[in-house]
Amino acid sequence: MSGCPYFQRKFVSTSKQHLKEDENDDSQTGVNKASKGGLIYGDYLQLDKIVTSQVLQSELKGNKIHDEHLFIVTHQAYELWFKQVLWELDSVREIFISGHVRDERNMLKVNTRIHRIVMIFRLLLDQFAVLETMTALDFYDFREYLSPASGFQSLQFRLLENKIGVPHNQRVPYNRRHYRDNFRDQESELLLHSEQEPTLLQLVEQWLERTPGLEEDGFNFWGKLETNIFEGLRREKEIIEQKPASEMKEEMMGELIKQRDIFLSLFDEKRHDHLVSTGQRRLSYKALQGALMIYFYREEPRFQVPFQLLTSLMDIDTLMTKWRYNHVCMVHRMIGSKDGTGGSSGYQYLRSTVSDRYKVFVDLFNLATFLVPREWVPKMDPSEHTFLYMAECCDSSYCSSSSDDSD
Amino acid sequence: MSGCPFLGRKYPLFTSKPSQAEEEDESQKGINKAMKGGIVYGEYLQLDKVLSAQVLQSQEKGNKIHDEHLFIVTHQAYELWFKQILWELDSVRDLFIKNHVRDERNMLKVVSRIHRITMIFKLLVEQFAVLETMTALDFFDFREYLSPASGFQSLQFRLLEAKIGVADHLRVPYNRRHYRDSFHGQESETLMSSEQEPTLLQLVEQWLERTPGLEKEGFNFWGKLQANIEEGLKMEKHKVEKMEDSEVKEDLLADRNKQTEVFTALFDPKRHEHLLSKGERRLSYKALQGALMINFYREEPRFQVPFQLLTALMEIDTLMTKWRYNHVCMVHRMIGSKAGTGGSSGYQYLRSTVSDRYKVFVDLFNLATFLVPRAWVPKLNPNIHKFPYMAEFYDSSYSSYSSEDSD
Repeated sequence: MSGCPYFQRKFVSTSKQHLKEDENDDSQTGVNKASKGGLIYGDYLQLDKIVTSQVLQSELKGNKIHDEHLFIVTHQAYELWFKQVLWELDSVREIFISGHVRDERNMLKVNTRIHRIVMIFRLLLDQFAVLETMTALDFYDFREYLSPASGFQSLQFRLLENKIGVPHNQRVPYNRRHYRDNFRDQESELLLHSEQEPTLLQLVEQWLERTPGLEEDGFNFWGKLETNIFEGLRREKEIIEQKPASEMKEEMMGELIKQRDIFLSLFDEKRHDHLVSTGQRRLSYKALQGALMIYFYREEPRFQVPFQLLTSLMDIDTLMTKWRYNHVCMVHRMIGSKDGTGGSSGYQYLRSTVSDRYKVFVDLFNLATFLVPREWVPKMDPSEHTFLYMAECCDSSYCSSSSDDSD
Repeated sequence: MSGCPFLGRKYPLFTSKPSQAEEEDESQKGINKAMKGGIVYGEYLQLDKVLSAQVLQSQEKGNKIHDEHLFIVTHQAYELWFKQILWELDSVRDLFIKNHVRDERNMLKVVSRIHRITMIFKLLVEQFAVLETMTALDFFDFREYLSPASGFQSLQFRLLEAKIGVADHLRVPYNRRHYRDSFHGQESETLMSSEQEPTLLQLVEQWLERTPGLEKEGFNFWGKLQANIEEGLKMEKHKVEKMEDSEVKEDLLADRNKQTEVFTALFDPKRHEHLLSKGERRLSYKALQGALMINFYREEPRFQVPFQLLTALMEIDTLMTKWRYNHVCMVHRMIGSKAGTGGSSGYQYLRSTVSDRYKVFVDLFNLATFLVPRAWVPKLNPNIHKFPYMAEFYDSSYSSYSSEDSD
């Protein structure tokens, strides 16, 4: 009746008969190893700790509210995954900090782990839908018991932001105080360290500055690009000027001038440094050149994985800002314009964090402003410019294949 | 440059004094409540327990493998959500067991919680994509340290299955042993209790048997339906017989005969009992009638939410079997045809559990076999048949509004 190929094949339903199985049934071969002692599942995962850490404040206060359990479990799941993200993030930062990233065989690992962070963030985004099954009315029934606990006190979330590269001078102040004021002693120290140690952004910046092809006495990508772009713009201007006077010609000329201005700004190092000081750009001028180089030559074997890395870094920014926005939307639904339990303005504050000031790799996004026709990209001759095909892995001072642990 | 409306607006980057404009900034209103003492985030969520439960066996054995952390965290996240599902499931079972469900004001709560369970399962299915960022090669590096821990020892997973209504006698045996053999002491007792207490299936069955409109001396849905169907089939057969002999006529006649057989089976209580004994059906005959009644009259106000419940119950089955299948696919990729750490045949065993024998509400799916043209559904006259419009909640012996806790 059910059409299932396994149903009823051998397993008769009444009482003990199902134990007389066909000796040849592959699905039944095996032995119960756990009966001989050894680590079992619950111990391996320390479930005694995990599954007993849901204590409802509403229940402690004598007014058990059913939905508080969901609230607790949801946040605990977020924190478990934050821990995992930090695990991956720290391991990648370590590969850069130790110099092991110069052995390009380590790029697969770097890329895989950054991509894994992206996958986790996607899950964390989907997770909102579960908490959204709680209504504002149900939340209201236990919210009073939560104060003053608040997401502001999530240490891991702040560590995450810092280690990726959110600059603390860009943060939206919270009740006009420093975000670190929410933490004390050891937690506060950990947070301070995370601001001072190399962030993913800084490490990627240094890596980008080393992009092969930037050397002025070598391939001189930047010099060649500037030449090609202005040559290209000049030719386009000539073509437009030859057209008979018309409104369309005016418009096209206007467009061309705008394009020219954009590229003039690209090649103006002082302007770049100014934008860095206002926080609108984050990468150094040299790193920006490296990123654009990787973009234009992404199909060259040596740049393929680096290109994937840049894409994943932008995915992280995108997912984090989507996370913030999902959070805002849900909070608005739950508490309207009431204050947060931590004392902030709640919705208003959160809304202000959905902003480019929290976008770490903003420069990578903005590179799309400077895309040019393929023909303007400086030509690469494989017989002359071999640096694109030869990965660095022979320098034993950077070689990490024989390292102690698999980190 | 970035186009962001918030960037650079009011927040000076390097000064420590807030600007005048900040005094009116809504997002800055508030105080830091946590400064005055009281429960903070980390304590509320017992993060000291949750975040210290990740101990890598590979590291204990002196060969730390990076990816083991992901393996542990993924399973812990699953167990957290299993706990949440059990919390919702038990609260719903309780509403039925205490008869509070007879006060139909409680139906919203029932449906919301069952729907919440489906939302959690959706997340759990999506969660596989995160673990799938681990390659078989990486898994191989630490798998040896896991044995004999195995998902077979997940108590919560078994409790979940049992409480929903997975039939013990329909389970695929594991190494020719009873699944309960993987557990000892209190865990084994808890499991036994869950098999003996009323399952969601049994409670829903009893509820369906009480569906208004089934009463033979009342609306007599089943009697009327049978009459209408027989009449309808007879008329259709006449129409076909009047056609000129042709291959099309032959096909149509054969089809009509098949239909007649299907419906004869539907109205044969002995046949239903037979299928019940084989495990191909799980609901009682009366409950089946109730389910079909709700399906046909789902738009009547009294049946709208019950219909949503039946849909959500099928959704649970669907998601659980998708979960099993996702699990199988991943295991196959990770260990090929090797045996599981718990000693089972691994992939082969898991494959055999992707089967209708684990589909608890299989009867609801099969109702689609018996759909008929709207015209054949017995007519309901709102003046005579008030029951689809009047919910029961006056009987104070069932009223649950004055109960102790909000469960």
